[in-house]
Amino acid sequence: MRKALTLLVSGLVAALLGVLALGGVAAAATSSAEEAKDAAKSAREAAQKAGKPDPFTPEIYGTR
Amino acid sequence: MLYAVAATVAAVVLAPLAASGYALLYDMVFVPRQPLSWQLVAPADSLPRAVPMDAVVSLVTQLVPGWLLQRLVLVGAVVFAAVGAGYLVPAERRATRVVAAVSYAWTPYLAERLLIGQWGLLLAYAALPWIVWAALRVHAGRAGAVPRLVLAAAPAAITPTGGLLAFATVALLVPGRGRRRSSVLALGALLVLNAPWLVAALVTGAGGTSDPAGVEAFAARAENWAGPLAALAGTGGIWSAQATPGSRSGFLVPLATLVLLVMAGVGAGPLRRRLPAGVAVRLGVLAGGGLLLAALGVLPGTADALRWAVLHVPGAGLLRDGQKFLAGYALPLVLCAALGVERLVARWDRDLAVLVLAGAALLPVAVMPDLALGGAGRLRPVSYPADWRRVAALTAEDPGVVLALPLSAYRAYPWNPDRVVLDPLPRYLSAEVLTDDTLRVGDVTVAGENRRIRKLRRLLRDGRPVAGTGVRWVVVQHGSAGTVDPAWLAGLEKVHDGPFLTLYRDPAAPPVWREDPSDPARWAVVAALGSALLVVGFAALSALRRRPTAW
Repeated sequence: MRKALTLLVSGLVAALLGVLALGGVAAAATSSAEEAKDAAKSAREAAQKAGKPDPFTPEIYGTR
Repeated sequence: MLYAVAATVAAVVLAPLAASGYALLYDMVFVPRQPLSWQLVAPADSLPRAVPMDAVVSLVTQLVPGWLLQRLVLVGAVVFAAVGAGYLVPAERRATRVVAAVSYAWTPYLAERLLIGQWGLLLAYAALPWIVWAALRVHAGRAGAVPRLVLAAAPAAITPTGGLLAFATVALLVPGRGRRRSSVLALGALLVLNAPWLVAALVTGAGGTSDPAGVEAFAARAENWAGPLAALAGTGGIWSAQATPGSRSGFLVPLATLVLLVMAGVGAGPLRRRLPAGVAVRLGVLAGGGLLLAALGVLPGTADALRWAVLHVPGAGLLRDGQKFLAGYALPLVLCAALGVERLVARWDRDLAVLVLAGAALLPVAVMPDLALGGAGRLRPVSYPADWRRVAALTAEDPGVVLALPLSAYRAYPWNPDRVVLDPLPRYLSAEVLTDDTLRVGDVTVAGENRRIRKLRRLLRDGRPVAGTGVRWVVVQHGSAGTVDPAWLAGLEKVHDGPFLTLYRDPAAPPVWREDPSDPARWAVVAALGSALLVVGFAALSALRRRPTAW
């Protein structure tokens, strides 16, 4: 009984990790260009809100 | 099996590179054929941060196109990192090797250094398990082990940081009673591999110190609520928010780091028992040293000491972005964690053990899925506009110093959207190109070291023209922020006017047919580079013979 329960829990955790990993990779695969654009846009907006310079202007190596 | 896993990881991470072109992102610059110029081989006016990397790329791209070299180094880095860790871990089960392979090739460290474009550092990261493996063979007194160690360390030594990391690893693992000869040989060879950048640092006119503002700018960064030390503990914490995968800001990420640390703690015992006596402790010192160097910029007291050192001690600037030394911590962490999982399942049913090990292999991917597909699309190849070829041809016909305007070290081109990249012009043109070396990190400005560009910057700030300064060509790069005062271009003739680049020439500037070949300092760098190549060549020949050598 104990063995079966351990197997079940481990199986569920492994499956969850599998779903998360594959789901995440699939998400990256299906919308990579759009995500990159969105990420850049978000970074710009966050910088604007914080009164900081746009991280995607050429003078900026990056922001912390 | 390990190669299949490594190839799968590499394919998932670097899939966008299947498209043609060049992935240009932050420090990652590849061009069709990088010239073999003095500026790249032995920079006279800047610190040798890319010595001998640029010289090696220049040599290789005489034979192999830049786009292919970029793919070879990136795929090689991921594959060899994975296989190396899987091969090195002293595991009893094959699945444990897979856990180690995936965990080492899917770390925040690899993701962040990939997304900031520091491929040279990734080569050092990939070489590290092989260096440890070869050092253990030297440690065991195996015949012909030193040449293999030299070959394993060679890719790491193409950057100063990688070279130091390789040297420190060998210095920690090889010496011991009865191994004096092989230790001296191994350390001597590693010193020769590091000689190009050491000699370049000694002879450069840039001095050896740098702006202490860089300590704060490049200190480890908190990725989520747990702070910078927790980020470092999970092998992340790079200074740049743009080079950090979005998933690292997740609320549960510190919990995953905690699981990793607990597993590593559980696996420390088996690692100690299965490696030769004393080796695990030495790996622990390597890990502790890496973690400490990475944390110097954020620990109270050490940050001030680092600031002082960067300003006064030549070469201490290498430590300002200390997170890059975390590679020395990542490897022992992964080895311990993989063995920790193996120990946990040691007494369990085989099916259950395989299930748990499979889950452990998937954990790094589940926690940071956005490393896939080149960091969810951040790494995407583009082609250089035709303007670039035209400007390269024109400047090659009439050699002379080139100034890149607007003054900026990094650029965001409309043809490489939403990405910032180090100006590729110095690597694209065969002439000597002056670019600004001031770095801006958020609101912090980190001054560069190039005295020539500093003089020109002052002159331009006063609104004076470039004409008469000895600069023969001026390239104005369009579509990027920054302004070019028309007064700067007075007296210059427009030679090419394209959508992305405009080229001006100063007809009065003296033509420079070739850069001064008589400077003995630069030849010293070439001699050091030649010595390093000789050592690698000799090691390759020795290893290929597959027979015991005097080494």
